[in-house]
Amino acid sequence: MSSVLRAIWDNTYGLLVDDGQLAIGAIAALAITWLIAASSSEALRGNAGWVLLVLVLALVVANLYRAGHSARRRTG
Amino acid sequence: MDLVTLAIAATPSFIASAVEFVEATTIVLAVGITRGWRAPLAGSALAALTLGVIVGTLGVALVTVVPEHLLLGLVGTLLLLFGLRWLRKAVLRFAGIVALHDEEEIYRKEVAELRSQGRRKTEWDWVGMIVAYKAVLLEGIEVAFIVIAFGAKGLGAMNAAIVGAIAAGIIVIALAAALRHPLTAVPENWMKFGVGAMLSSFGVFWFGEGVGAEWPGDAASIPIILGAFLVASWIAVRLLNGLLPQGARVEARNV
Repeated sequence: MSSVLRAIWDNTYGLLVDDGQLAIGAIAALAITWLIAASSSEALRGNAGWVLLVLVLALVVANLYRAGHSARRRTG
Repeated sequence: MDLVTLAIAATPSFIASAVEFVEATTIVLAVGITRGWRAPLAGSALAALTLGVIVGTLGVALVTVVPEHLLLGLVGTLLLLFGLRWLRKAVLRFAGIVALHDEEEIYRKEVAELRSQGRRKTEWDWVGMIVAYKAVLLEGIEVAFIVIAFGAKGLGAMNAAIVGAIAAGIIVIALAAALRHPLTAVPENWMKFGVGAMLSSFGVFWFGEGVGAEWPGDAASIPIILGAFLVASWIAVRLLNGLLPQGARVEARNV
């Protein structure tokens, strides 16, 4: 039973996470956006979506750049 | 909704779902051709049934029990994680850091592995059934994500997304059945890149809606968000191309 649950968990995790750092970064971006929306003025809450977009785009570029550096080290 | 409008609305879901159906069909074909058709067809049918139960129970429970803003936040989170995973992989493939997804190669490996396992002629082929079940279930869950992403706007959008996914399934399965060969001509990385960018855009949009953000023009903001993802991806591919020397790329895996 535990092996079946383990397989379900592994598959679900694999469906959503390819790179752990990217996934953690995305969740952090979502949390920051939620905090901004929950604790700030009406005007800032209205723009929380754009904050999320900027955070996620920066995250994507930074993560891929890191992946490129890692690949360069591997290829020597 | 007239037929032309429905076709246009169903196209994104059709393209995205087609990628998943191609991947599932490759595995089912490999099992069927090497070990006979009864077990993989039974496995596929069982997977479709399991998927129906999961989507039916979980989907209905989510829609009826979870408050709308929380549901949008949850759907947005899942779509963003799912979309970023596809987008990252597609960009790394375009940059040559990860090898392109090769259906022919996957098919050959699967056939070799299944042949090596062997079985007696009289016994039920549990291996073939489980391999097909797993492939159809996993790719089917991804199709469910896609339908939710494109259909979350309302009943009309949901109907169009379901129609697109079903049409993709019928066409891919019919083509595979006619050709008896994996569908290698599908430009999979381009499709995954586009779908990854679209799912990420929908994820940002729905999460924003969930936390009370206001998008100018409501859903009309989605193309702008999508454009931003495409520009960021283009910048990333340019950066990666500058980082690695030509010819040394495909060997670098697992980055």
